Amino acid sequence: MYKGGSSMNISIDVKENEKLVEVKVSGEIDAYTAPKLRENLFPLAEKEGVQMVVNLSDVSYMDSTGLGVFVGVFKNVRANNGEFKIIGLSDRLKRLFEITGLADIIDINTQIEGGVQ
Amino acid sequence: MENQSCVKIINEWDIVAARQLGRNVAKDLGFGTVDQARITTAISELARNIYLYAGQGQVCIEKIYDGGKAGLQILAADSGPGISDLRQVMEDGYSTSGGLGAGLPGVKRLMDEFVIDSEPGKGTDIKATKWLR
Amino acid sequence: MDFREIIADKYRDILVNYLKDQSEQSLYSSQKFSRKSIEHMISPEEIISIHKQLIVDLFPDMQPEIAHSFDILLEVMVGYGFALREHQNLKHIQQELRSEMEIAANVQKTLLGTSIPNIDCLDIGAISVPAKHMNGDYHHFVQDENNSVSIAIADVIGKGLPAALCMSMIKYAMDSLPENRMNPKDVLENLNRVVEQNVDLTMFITMFYGIYDTEKHVFSYASAGHEPCLFYNAESAEFTELPAKGLLLGIEKKTKYRQYERTVDVGDMIILMSDGVTECRTEDGFIERESLLELIKKFIHLDAQDIVTSVYKELEKMQDLQLRDDFTLIIFKRKV
Repeated sequence: MYKGGSSMNISIDVKENEKLVEVKVSGEIDAYTAPKLRENLFPLAEKEGVQMVVNLSDVSYMDSTGLGVFVGVFKNVRANNGEFKIIGLSDRLKRLFEITGLADIIDINTQIEGGVQ
Repeated sequence: MENQSCVKIINEWDIVAARQLGRNVAKDLGFGTVDQARITTAISELARNIYLYAGQGQVCIEKIYDGGKAGLQILAADSGPGISDLRQVMEDGYSTSGGLGAGLPGVKRLMDEFVIDSEPGKGTDIKATKWLR
Repeated sequence: MDFREIIADKYRDILVNYLKDQSEQSLYSSQKFSRKSIEHMISPEEIISIHKQLIVDLFPDMQPEIAHSFDILLEVMVGYGFALREHQNLKHIQQELRSEMEIAANVQKTLLGTSIPNIDCLDIGAISVPAKHMNGDYHHFVQDENNSVSIAIADVIGKGLPAALCMSMIKYAMDSLPENRMNPKDVLENLNRVVEQNVDLTMFITMFYGIYDTEKHVFSYASAGHEPCLFYNAESAEFTELPAKGLLLGIEKKTKYRQYERTVDVGDMIILMSDGVTECRTEDGFIERESLLELIKKFIHLDAQDIVTSVYKELEKMQDLQLRDDFTLIIFKRKV
């Protein structure tokens, strides 16, 4: 049964190779899991010239708190002259980025390399 | 002071020694079994705090008299890292975080009087008293 | 008699009865006894001590080891008593916080209070319900001297106290805008500057601002990343999304907003909402936009206020009465 929110199901997998940082998030991003995401991503975003790619293809749900974390990461990356991309958005999540106008300032349209289109 | 005896807290066995001392004095003063258990639990908590977080210190037990009433006073002193936010460690719920000062609100409730004095870098002094009813 | 003696006496009666007959009745009495003793802050170790004393009195010839065994039980229970008292104190603190929140919620209600304008040609309905005590949704009506009605609807990320604090900022920023009527795009550009300077990195606000011209029956609006509003065309009985593009408030200092217009005919409706409306979740998944449209259709024959209230009640039922996010729904319906 669904019990008022506390899912806590999230896993964050980070691969770092010099400036390239690849992050794969799986699970649900909501008010309960967003702080964990923030803790993991913020330090990575502080690196000068970082090129961050976040893969959300295994994220089943994200609310506005999650969107807020990505907004914060984006602002940090930009402040450090880096690049920020989000890949693997489901149609539902894509809609969230489009409604909020974020699709115009964050790159969400790069295809996953070697993935199925 | 002839009414005071102390136990140095260096390892875990010293916690038992401090408890034993406290229990003997409590029994001697005429505290019932429930209060004896509460006093020893308070001593345990204070001694454990010293053992785990302050490294070393001592626990002294003293019989005190005020007018017609008698009581038992625990003095726990260490020269550990000290506590910077006393208000916070005296809040319930803080104890769950572990660390120095854990369980102090509980000790305060087990006893009748509780005074804490701490200076970061210097150490902590705690005085807790239970009166014989 | 001392209260503790009364308790001890009561316990003695229960114990003696049970030793005699082992009846369910005695066990039931002990359950009632425990409720009473918790209420009076009698700790577990005190009960053990009473028990031990009684057993020693009742069976003076018993093996001394049995009496000693209660010392262990008593010592163990001191720890439980320790936890119980902490729990009771935390409960007390929680009650304090709750009443503080209730007061804050009332302050907010007064602060954000808005009344639905009374205009001959329009039927307006509005509902806004917070998920927790405090509302992170904001809506505000203004009726100007030319009989135009402006509506602002905003949603702060997250909910509860942080969202509500941020909402107060929007309220003051709105109040400090120039008195004369402003274009929706200018309102958003103004607010964006205020928000951008005053929020945390991960905080943002969505906002929709519109003005209904009651003479020309034109609705002008602009959106800052807000949940798209719906338009109901009475003639074709169809719903469409009102096109609107625009970035969230608080992201970039110099964001420009685009303004849109829509002519409104008799019977047409403009439906504004916060994302709590479309983010509603049930046990089987999300409530899709389609089901929201179904609900609005179901009540479409009603007055605007009755539509929004009925839709809210149905959604509440579908979510098992648990609101996941703040919820705001506003309907403008042209009467004549």
